[in-house]
Amino acid sequence: MNHSEAMNDTAGSARPIAQRYALAVATVAVAFGLASAFTHFNLPQPFSAFALSAIAITFWYAGTAPGVLAAVLSSIVRDYLFEPTTSTQSRLLFDLVFLVFALLMTQVLRHRNQLEVRVAERTAELTQTNDNLKREIAKHNKVEAELRLSQAYLDEAQRLSHTGSWAWSPPPGDIRYWSDECYRVQGFDPKAGQPSFDEFLQSVHPNDQARIVEVIDRAVREKEEFEFDYRIILPDGEVRDARSLGHPILGPTGDLVEYIGTIIDVTDRRQAEKERERLREAQADLAHVSRMTVMGELTASLAHEVNQPITAAVNGAGTCVRWLTREEPDLAEAREAALGVIRNAKRAADIINRIRSISKKGESKRQLADVNELIQEMIALLRSEAMRYSVSVRTELNADLPKVMADPVQVQQVLMNLIMNSIDAMKNVDRERELTIRSQWADNRMLSISVSDTGVGLPPHQEDRIFDAFFTTKSHGIGMGLRISRSIVESHGGRLWAADNSPHGASFHFTLSTPVEVGA
Amino acid sequence: MIAPGALKAHSRYMSCKNENKLVAIVDDDDAVRGTLKELLRSAGYASQTFESAEDFLGSGHQQETACLITDIRMPGMSGLELQARLNAERCRIPTIFITAHGDEQMRFQALRAGAVEFLPKPFDDDVLIESVRAALNR
Repeated sequence: MNHSEAMNDTAGSARPIAQRYALAVATVAVAFGLASAFTHFNLPQPFSAFALSAIAITFWYAGTAPGVLAAVLSSIVRDYLFEPTTSTQSRLLFDLVFLVFALLMTQVLRHRNQLEVRVAERTAELTQTNDNLKREIAKHNKVEAELRLSQAYLDEAQRLSHTGSWAWSPPPGDIRYWSDECYRVQGFDPKAGQPSFDEFLQSVHPNDQARIVEVIDRAVREKEEFEFDYRIILPDGEVRDARSLGHPILGPTGDLVEYIGTIIDVTDRRQAEKERERLREAQADLAHVSRMTVMGELTASLAHEVNQPITAAVNGAGTCVRWLTREEPDLAEAREAALGVIRNAKRAADIINRIRSISKKGESKRQLADVNELIQEMIALLRSEAMRYSVSVRTELNADLPKVMADPVQVQQVLMNLIMNSIDAMKNVDRERELTIRSQWADNRMLSISVSDTGVGLPPHQEDRIFDAFFTTKSHGIGMGLRISRSIVESHGGRLWAADNSPHGASFHFTLSTPVEVGA
Repeated sequence: MIAPGALKAHSRYMSCKNENKLVAIVDDDDAVRGTLKELLRSAGYASQTFESAEDFLGSGHQQETACLITDIRMPGMSGLELQARLNAERCRIPTIFITAHGDEQMRFQALRAGAVEFLPKPFDDDVLIESVRAALNR
């Protein structure tokens, strides 16, 4: 609805036109009826007063046009039904009164309509303002809900990561923010309110307090970040490990405003690290025991390996003495023989060193290692053992392979276990006993090393179990060799698996990763 | 296991005569073999070396060999098997066994099969030279 329409016909707009004009007729008829009744009872004749009321009512309720109609009707009724004898002069006077009254009513109506329009406008404005306010409130509620959700997520994340956050104004200020997780980690009761810096310090292990103060003082002086590890003593006496980090916030002029930072509970992490360390040690111990067990089985063969160069050295020494003690000593021959002694004694020492390095119990040391060299050394050590069981050893080594980053002793332990298993698997077979060791490229910058034999093959239907601890098919084995070999290979980022060898025997394969080339 | 040449050599000679006083050394270890040859040379004996029992049998020299020095454990045919084969060929060469891990049983077996000496490695050079001299002077 537009404003001009509202102004024209506000009063009657709600009713149909016929009703509005009917009101004019009806009010005048009522005025006429009342006047007739008054006349009948000989009361003063008041038609004009009734007519004016009829006109006023019609104007008010039905609008201008019906109002005018009521005025005209009143004039006619008065002129022709009540005072037909009245002079033209008085009739005109009455008509003038009705006309002026009608005009007055028109004005009244106009003012009323204007007032209504103003009220409507004001109301619309108020409604608009109200709607805006409601929208604002809804927006605010939404933001608040999101903020609450975000805070809940943050709280949960802090709880899960055992990381609390804080804000602190250096002296003369104090702690300005202290998250829920800070309360938990530091062992404060949230009901007691935000702790002061001194209260924080009191919850720290006495031996750590001075150091913390020193670290923070220096950081504040230099306006730099700080970080320190410390122990918390909880109210129940439990000691926990924590770490705090602080980041300085500087004002526009470079002055230190505050520090914001975190407190992290690292107790569980420390514990896990210690456990891992213990596990590593246990694994190293086990690997060492396993190595020593195998070396024990190899004693005879290893003794033979050492004995050969010693025999050669003794022969050389005897030769040397003979050349020197002849009637005419031959120094050139004696010298040649003595050089041979040195060579063979060194060879014996080399073999002993190799045995010692494998027997040694030491920390795992990763270094660049040539797998082919490791294979050759292991074959040299196990040659006698292979010979003892009439096993011929064949190698297919790719000479172009790069070095691997590995613990040489551990890789040799894997090779030793696999080769010993292969020899074991062939001890009692009648066909040709052949051990083949290959080195080659595998996928993804990995090298593959395989040990194949022509022995009894994998135990049927138990191919997967052979890598289980304590699984063994040997009467003298403890079933740790393959288990340890697999964990060694996996700790080097490789894989160890077994497959049947065609037509006889088994193949064991393992992979080792080559280091990523720097700058490549 | 035996090279074809060995069988041919065997078929040509029904027995061996040890005429040329040759000393043969059979050992799979290069250093042991080489130093043994040098030791014998310093004592005035010429010798010939073989990497394996098969090599020795295939060389055809067993007929001229007056003394055999052999290792026991070797890839392929062992020293004891070599001795047995030579005995079977009626070629009884005085044999000195040298071994890194010989036990009593092995020693007994070797001596019963006609070995003149059974020496554990490393051995005394004088004992070895004396044994060789005794073998050659038979």
